[in-house]
Amino acid sequence: MFEVVIGLEVHTQLNTNTKLFCSCPTSFNHTQNTNTCPTCLALPGALPVLNKEVLHKSIMFGTAVDATINRDSYFDRKSYFYPDSPSSYQITQLYTPVVEHGSLEIDLEDGSKKTIRINRAHIEADAGKNIHEGDISKVDLNRAGTPLLEIVSEPDMRSSDEVILYLKKLHSIVRYLDISDANMQEGSFRVDVNVSIRPKGDEKLYTRVEIKNINSFKFIEKAIEVEVARQIDAWEDGTYEEEIAQETRLFDQVKQETRSMRGKEEAADYRYFPEPDLLKAVVSDEMFEKYSKIPELPDEKRARFVSEYNMSEYNAGVLTASLEWAKYFETMMAEGASAKNAITWLTVELQGRLSGGITPETSPISAQTLATIVKAIDDKTISGKAAKDVLDYRMENEMEIDAIIEKLGLKQVSDTGAIETMVDEIMAANMDKVEQYRGGKEKLLGFFVGQVMKASKGSANPQVVNEIVTKKLA
Amino acid sequence: MQVDDVLLSRLEKLSHLHIDEKNREEVIEQLSEIVAFVDNLSELDTQDVSDTFSMSNLSTITREDTPTCVSKINDDILNHAPNSADRFFIVPKIIE
Repeated sequence: MFEVVIGLEVHTQLNTNTKLFCSCPTSFNHTQNTNTCPTCLALPGALPVLNKEVLHKSIMFGTAVDATINRDSYFDRKSYFYPDSPSSYQITQLYTPVVEHGSLEIDLEDGSKKTIRINRAHIEADAGKNIHEGDISKVDLNRAGTPLLEIVSEPDMRSSDEVILYLKKLHSIVRYLDISDANMQEGSFRVDVNVSIRPKGDEKLYTRVEIKNINSFKFIEKAIEVEVARQIDAWEDGTYEEEIAQETRLFDQVKQETRSMRGKEEAADYRYFPEPDLLKAVVSDEMFEKYSKIPELPDEKRARFVSEYNMSEYNAGVLTASLEWAKYFETMMAEGASAKNAITWLTVELQGRLSGGITPETSPISAQTLATIVKAIDDKTISGKAAKDVLDYRMENEMEIDAIIEKLGLKQVSDTGAIETMVDEIMAANMDKVEQYRGGKEKLLGFFVGQVMKASKGSANPQVVNEIVTKKLA
Repeated sequence: MQVDDVLLSRLEKLSHLHIDEKNREEVIEQLSEIVAFVDNLSELDTQDVSDTFSMSNLSTITREDTPTCVSKINDDILNHAPNSADRFFIVPKIIE
């Protein structure tokens, strides 16, 4: 039996306004090569100047994962030659990163918790982008010099499930802190997976293979699966030594295999040395004080939802996994909707009606709108059943909730006078049944209630009808 | 450190420089001298000096996170590139 050993490197693009070492705007989807300057284009003589916001966001992250914040951290130069980096080196933090020795907790399927240690988080500059086209490559350096926080875990994960749990937790922490957009598709949350195997019980770490180029949770799971299978096959065939090398492999989504990035090993001589253009980065007491006060984190919010709103652990987990949905719920609370109905109407009715990928921002129903529907249920203006019709209608039509209730004639009649009149009429028309009821055939109560509901076209409040009918028949 | 022909070939590859056959001997000699000179430093006892020791205790200056962009400069740079088109820098194809 084999055990899988996985460690992750996550490149998180920090959502600062400007680049790491120059004042060019950070951008996504801007015209190519418009957000550049002599510094990020590495013209001779241009010098890097550190963006202080990058330090602030690093402190916030370090605090969130219970890590050591190094008051003095240092930059190092990593040499590599590729057209996406005009300087032919990357400024990073190899020896003394800003954040070290943290951890976060993941919640396993069986209800237990597991701690995943975080080795470090260091600041570094992103590269530009290449577009390959026929005989040429086109280079866009808008992204060159964008600040990254590279978050490196210890090899503490033992399955792809644990990897996904870790990534989701890390993703939500980063979003809660609002230090990154963390959008996998747009490349602001990039994951490299280091995978090795070992016989169960063995404590030794064997050869690790780094898999790059995976941009969704689904593909990460698949990439781990096929790479582990490749390593186990090699082990069982007795070819582990020859076939499994410490190297970088690309995951091919179409062929569902990992492939060696040829030639990289030979060139991988980064010649790290302390960056001569920058002095140490210092976190002052004042800065530390200010940025180690961080907003509520996902686990804290979840616990609060459970205690404050009497929410189930499951619902609280689902709602707080995404900051946007958690805020959506909190907006509904602020609008005055009852917690009990809001939970059901958000997690069951609304989310059940939205197809995958719809976020609170793209939802046709805003938190205020859903709160209005829930409040109408709370104060018995409409029944729960009618509310479903209102929601369905609102999904298709941009209209005020009150107007929809009016238009569909769903307003519940709780006006006892109106209901009493209806009950009187129905009793008068069914005197024989009234006699039977009074003679002991109590089952007929349902008949009268049904008749009144029918006469009101379903708009009467069934509870009120029940009370009046019972009273009048007595 | 021994500087020999193998190491020189590696350095050529890493630095993207080509050393002519007739100059190799001389370059190896010069590099060996440089390395030997730097080796003098190992005579110093650095046992009790921290890895991050620096002659000055200054820290790097930082700047506010406020964007500025001078489009004339990046236009100029783009126009002076050996090859550019449609606002892209154009380089020989870099993947197979």
